[in-house]
Amino acid sequence: MKTPRDILFTRHRAAMPKLDAIRREVVTNFNHQDTKAPSWTMILVSWCLGGSIQLWRELVWPCRRIWSGLAVVWILLLVINVAQRDRASVNLAKASPPAVSLMTFRDQQKLLNELFADRSLPAEAERPRIYLPKPRTEKSEERCV
Amino acid sequence: MPEVADIEQLPVSQARAGEPAAWDTLFRRYQLPLYVYVFELVRDEQAGLDLVQETFIAAARHLGSLREDAKFSSWLFGIAHQKCIQRWRQRKEFLFDEIPETTDEFDDGPDELLIRQEQEAEFMNLLNLLPPPQRSVLLLHFVEDFALEEIARITEKPLGTVKSRLHYAKRALRKLLEEPK
Repeated sequence: MKTPRDILFTRHRAAMPKLDAIRREVVTNFNHQDTKAPSWTMILVSWCLGGSIQLWRELVWPCRRIWSGLAVVWILLLVINVAQRDRASVNLAKASPPAVSLMTFRDQQKLLNELFADRSLPAEAERPRIYLPKPRTEKSEERCV
Repeated sequence: MPEVADIEQLPVSQARAGEPAAWDTLFRRYQLPLYVYVFELVRDEQAGLDLVQETFIAAARHLGSLREDAKFSSWLFGIAHQKCIQRWRQRKEFLFDEIPETTDEFDDGPDELLIRQEQEAEFMNLLNLLPPPQRSVLLLHFVEDFALEEIARITEKPLGTVKSRLHYAKRALRKLLEEPK
């Protein structure tokens, strides 16, 4: 005489090697950090990492050629900018401004100021006429006269 | 044959601390009972093995959600039960709750069914003929000797429903065993 439990277990005992293999696999691949409560820094890091990976997958990777082209252009612009800055600083360092050139520069600035001042003011001829409507009675008097 | 170990002896707290050896002990203890339960519900060897593996992985991931270590056993079987239901839903084989159920009160004593060797095949056949909800309750009762409250928790059904299912399943089995050969 057997209990139902005995019958069931005996019938399925043949599956034990497979179950052992499954157990070993799960325990081997088991990362014990999964069960521990994650710290806030870990959550933040994983969130940032996950977000950046998603951003990379959805935004950057599908248009990678365009992004790389843009990156090259930006690098070129940066290089040119840096090179020009260096050259200008070298030139400035080399030559101290003489008194004559300063005078001419001031004159030019004065002239420019005058020019812009003139333009900013509207011409007398172009002023719009202000039309003041006259009362109808006055108009009829004029006609009569 | 794995014996039903005392709940206090199970290294649940060590497993919670992330000790692989504790997990190995727990899985070793439950692998066959889980497989028996899952296999007898899905009736497919590969599916049964897959479901056991999925249950182990889910248990390792979500042990933090277990409030009482003493309820590890019913919690683990609850995961396996849910995995079986998910599988049925995916395959659209049938819905677990389609069979009408009564919620009458039954008083089944803690009787032990004993089966003769010549009746084993018939017992297995009858088990397979039972509707899945009754089979599930009966298996949980046989395999791990769960209390009715624990079975209700595992299957997420009211206690009355579990009682009636167990009653009908046992009555069918007794009928078989009492039949003269």
